[in-house]
Amino acid sequence: MTSLIDVMLILLVFFMVTSTYLDLDMMPMVQRSDEAEAPAGSTAAAGAPLLLQLSSDGSVRLRGQVLARDNLAARLAELAAATPGLRVLVLPSGAADAQALVGLIDAATQAGIADLRVIRPEGGQ
Amino acid sequence: MKLKPRRGLSMPDPLVSLIDVVFFLLVFFMLVGRMDATAPFDVAPPISVLGEDLPTGGLTVSVGADGRMALDGVEFDKPALVARLAELHESQPDLLVRVNAHGGLRLSVLLPLVADTEAAGIGDVVLVVTPNPT
Repeated sequence: MTSLIDVMLILLVFFMVTSTYLDLDMMPMVQRSDEAEAPAGSTAAAGAPLLLQLSSDGSVRLRGQVLARDNLAARLAELAAATPGLRVLVLPSGAADAQALVGLIDAATQAGIADLRVIRPEGGQ
Repeated sequence: MKLKPRRGLSMPDPLVSLIDVVFFLLVFFMLVGRMDATAPFDVAPPISVLGEDLPTGGLTVSVGADGRMALDGVEFDKPALVARLAELHESQPDLLVRVNAHGGLRLSVLLPLVADTEAAGIGDVVLVVTPNPT
């Protein structure tokens, strides 16, 4: 009986040490369905895409003007409301970090923008 | 011959309850815990308010803030990592790759890695994010 308790304790310690309880989410980067959805006629109806620049300091620029982080989602929502089916292209600086990109994608998603693509900066490693 | 009466396996009550507690804890950790290969370096994924549920299965590519990379806990350099992903894709065409990148990782490292992963034939790549607690 004592050895059974020992085994149980060892198993317990093993599971306690090796288990992870991180509550993590995900954001799709590449989806198999992209190819099927991209050629649809919606892009032609939406017109020219909106180009957002993500600077190395994390600021977002639209036509050279910096968009304030606080009301970025609201500003993008205005633009999305004005242009149904708005396509957004994000041109990030290679020096910007992943957090800045995720924050921008969050704001665009909150604004109701469904078609957002990230352009890979040239000169990356 | 007179045999001694056999004593039962009597244990003190506190020990029995301890075993019960340990057993419950064991079952709890077995059910709730998820074993995952951890990267050999520190990774704090970016925070997102709109992340989706992380799918199970697939491979985890970890990338530290300094650009070090690991595949399911084993450190690789980038060419070897991409080659390994291409190999695995051949045997598992529906392979899912989770990119667990540090929030401070430069996009000049992250985006080419995602592009190279896609070029290796992998059609499902997701970025791991931490849900915003607020």
